Amino acid sequence: MNGLDKKRSVIGYIFLVPSLVMFALFMFYPLFYTIYLSFFDWNMVKPVKEFVGLENYISVLGDPNTWKIFGNTFLYIVILLVFNFIMPYVLSFILSNIVKKGHGFYKSAFFLPSVISLVVGSILYVWILNPISGPIAIIAKYFGISMPFWSKTEGWVIAVLCIITTWKTFGYNFIIILAGVSGVSTEVIEAARLDNIPMWKIFKDIVVPMSSATGIYVFIITIVQGMQYVFTPIKVITQGGPNYASSNMIYMSYHEAFTLYSTGTSAAVSAMTMALFIILLMLEFKFVEKGVYYEN
Amino acid sequence: MKKCLKKFIALALMGASIVTCATGCSSDTADSVNNGGNEKTVIEYWHCNAENQGGLTVDELVKNFNENNDHIEVVAKYNPDMYKGLMQNLQAEAATGNYPAIVQIGWAFLDYFSNNFEYIEPQEAIDKYDTEDKDFLNNNFLPNILELAVNSDGNQVGIPYSLSTPVLYINKDILREAGLDENGPQTWEQVKEFADTVKEKTGKYGFYMQEPADFWAQQGIIESNGASMITKTDGKTEATFASEGGIEAMQLLSDMIKGGSALHVSWDEGCQSFIDGNCAMLYTTIARRASIQDSIQFDGITVKSPVWEGEERKVPAGGCFLAITAQDEEQIAAAWEFEKYLYSVEAMAAWTEGTGYVPPRKDVAEAENGLKNFLAENKMMNAAIEQMDNVVPWTAFPGDAGLQAEQMLLDMRDQILGGQISAEEGMKSTQDAINALLVSE
Repeated sequence: MNGLDKKRSVIGYIFLVPSLVMFALFMFYPLFYTIYLSFFDWNMVKPVKEFVGLENYISVLGDPNTWKIFGNTFLYIVILLVFNFIMPYVLSFILSNIVKKGHGFYKSAFFLPSVISLVVGSILYVWILNPISGPIAIIAKYFGISMPFWSKTEGWVIAVLCIITTWKTFGYNFIIILAGVSGVSTEVIEAARLDNIPMWKIFKDIVVPMSSATGIYVFIITIVQGMQYVFTPIKVITQGGPNYASSNMIYMSYHEAFTLYSTGTSAAVSAMTMALFIILLMLEFKFVEKGVYYEN
Repeated sequence: MKKCLKKFIALALMGASIVTCATGCSSDTADSVNNGGNEKTVIEYWHCNAENQGGLTVDELVKNFNENNDHIEVVAKYNPDMYKGLMQNLQAEAATGNYPAIVQIGWAFLDYFSNNFEYIEPQEAIDKYDTEDKDFLNNNFLPNILELAVNSDGNQVGIPYSLSTPVLYINKDILREAGLDENGPQTWEQVKEFADTVKEKTGKYGFYMQEPADFWAQQGIIESNGASMITKTDGKTEATFASEGGIEAMQLLSDMIKGGSALHVSWDEGCQSFIDGNCAMLYTTIARRASIQDSIQFDGITVKSPVWEGEERKVPAGGCFLAITAQDEEQIAAAWEFEKYLYSVEAMAAWTEGTGYVPPRKDVAEAENGLKNFLAENKMMNAAIEQMDNVVPWTAFPGDAGLQAEQMLLDMRDQILGGQISAEEGMKSTQDAINALLVSE
């Protein structure tokens, strides 16, 4: 290595320093501290943290509510994948290949809610979806349908919270996927059309594989959002209720830490959530990433 | 080479400034400021009142105090996310060794606060710094009100400040339409009859009891039926809500919901349904009076919290008390002086007008410089003032498990009102679980 190269690589490292510092402070340190805390019994005030070994993990795994919340988390992810990944995919295909007019309007109309705070959205939806006197309930009543008391009904509560989250995230995902789908060369699609290939087949066999690099990104952020964005409506509307029917793992760890001040349990839940994500990511790399088509 | 050195310096500076930003600069609180030659003692008052929840009144009171006092400067500090938010900030502040002088503590945190933080009992502060007015507490407060701020070890942790109780809001128009007494029901048995009749005659809902993330309102109906949430014997606390009266109370609520005459929705939805005339009766805190009074289009009143046939009314206190957390002598003396000002008749009246809380102090309601005119104009407030004799402490389970026990009550409420289990089954098993938790402490 000559002098110039050496100097360059030193400069390169120096450029990395600011971001490394930020990562260390805001990612790695909290991460390891969380894992550390998960072995202690502490309430954030007591001067002494009591070491309890794996007890926090054992009590979390032994609690039937934990399993209910695992189930909820999974359900949230599945529903949001349908609403926020599959639907925008189909919609962007329709918009770029079938609908010919008003693209600008659709784009801004779908994107608009993404810039509004989810807290505001949640409060708005509580009013719109009020099962007795909200506008939707009044219209439904007109057709002789009465709305369920969704905020206190198991099952419904997850569905409605997903709708609220979708309202917020749909537009962003849609714009990203639309960019990917529009990037698929029109020659290929035209050629398939000339051969009378049905639209759904074009979508499945041409558009999806060719835009899969964007698709996989949206797929992953949808799962992440399924955990994180749902937090806001849960916090604002249900606080995890009724009887944990709308709680997910992120909310559970918040609830343990900041409502019950049980820092150890919360840290254990966080650590387990992280482990789950690492497993999901590994599976993704192993099975999905291979089939992804990167243009460059 | 020179150029390279410059680059390096620039980068290093940038990195350093980022690190400084990231760690945040904590400003030191000055303990005194120099004010025209006089040293003023600066004290911090921590509160949870956002601008639309009495925050403006806090600022007004503090400003007034500062203008008329030559040796104390009060700095009011707002803490978001209510009493829990304040508690979190206090934890962080205490960890650095700094304490504000006066803090608002929600009733639910009474034991938690006194077990985990340093504080001065009000009588201790009075004995030291206000020897001329030693009986201030007994002269100005009802004993059952002072009792609210006594923790499970028997210490008077602070003085009640913001006080709210549950009352029954009534839509007179709906009751008239259903052919019922427009003055509303007096007992819980009547509440059920009224609700059923409303449902039958008008098709509207009869009743809603608030269901936020606390068990406060439900404690009111349970304890009014001769049950006690907790019983203390020889310094030991036991949950005892699953008595006959307690079970009857929860079963009544559950039956009304099952029968379709009462709502089982979130707090906001329930209040909204009352306000837009879809629900005839609403059992919620007096602290919501102003917003309800301003929004309703119908003839609405409040009545005192209903009783059970042959039993005494018991209404839990909501709100907060003021505790002195100042650590050094000068700060404690200043804190008490400011606190005493907050409990003056005028300041109390301003507080009630600005927030909707009931004054915890005697003689404010009738005084000319107090609330006399205000109450004449805002009749909805009277029900809460009239039931002051019946105020009982909001149950706080002792020790570190307290918060978890409260959570178990909420889970129980969800299951009973959701119809998954009967009141008897749910309350008995939850009571056992809470007692097991309290023993293991």
